[in-house]
Amino acid sequence: MTSDLTTEDTVYIIYIAAQPQKVWDALTISEFTKRYFFGRSVESDWKKGSSWMLRMPDGRVDVKGVVREADPPRKLAVSWIVDWIDPKPPEAIVTYEIEDTGNGVMRLTMTESHPTAIPRAWLEGGRKGWPMILSGLKSLIETGKPLGLPTPMPPEGPRK
Amino acid sequence: MNSFVYVTYIQATPQKVWDAITKPDVTRQFWMHTNDSDWKAGSDWRHTRLDGDTVDVQGKVLESDPPKRLIISWFAPHKAANPELHSRVQFDISEHKPGIARLEVSHTDLQPDVLNGVSIGWPQVLSNMKSLLETGKAASMW
Repeated sequence: MTSDLTTEDTVYIIYIAAQPQKVWDALTISEFTKRYFFGRSVESDWKKGSSWMLRMPDGRVDVKGVVREADPPRKLAVSWIVDWIDPKPPEAIVTYEIEDTGNGVMRLTMTESHPTAIPRAWLEGGRKGWPMILSGLKSLIETGKPLGLPTPMPPEGPRK
Repeated sequence: MNSFVYVTYIQATPQKVWDAITKPDVTRQFWMHTNDSDWKAGSDWRHTRLDGDTVDVQGKVLESDPPKRLIISWFAPHKAANPELHSRVQFDISEHKPGIARLEVSHTDLQPDVLNGVSIGWPQVLSNMKSLLETGKAASMW
């Protein structure tokens, strides 16, 4: 593991022609996430304090955490712990904010923050993934068709 | 010096993405400006409002390899005589998989005030470009 640690945020902003509820649903309902989030499904009741998880297409757990803030359809913040890395990485926080810019266009801002430092390579991994995921979300909502990007698997394979 | 990088994936060919950046008929539909140039290395380019007169940004074409790479200098006209205030924009376009282009826009050598503006502007412009190329309609956020 590299000794180059960082607490930098990753921020990605994308504008989507849709009602805020559509964007919220795309983030929180598996029927949608499976089509743009590398085949992954989500599980939670999306209430503050509830657990949530992200499952790989074969059912293994990819990410788990707790819902820190839920204000549908405007804001969702979750803790984010990648489950298959041993030892488990520190908790990150992923926040989605959905703001109305007028004209029926929403600004979706994804912020991945790191209260505890992580290796820079992990940060770079996230920075490669979010543009694919959120470009796919926008395409799915606006065109009804996902981008269908290939599903990347964890580099060393899940340990459990 | 500051930089801003934005990556997006678009259901389109690299040529369509190149045309969206460089052809006024396409650009005007999502950018509220046209980009005017012959897009040869060494040529000037201008970012012109749809009134056809007002130039908001200008620069030189530094590298041009259609439809894969375009590098331009970028500055407001009143900064033309101050090269130390000029920034640089690099567009890299590739076929991520058949039918899907990956566009990376890397805006470097940015003064802090310009960084603020382009950090807001690029996600709007590129979201709008993606909507236009995929649906035929820009997201009309202006």
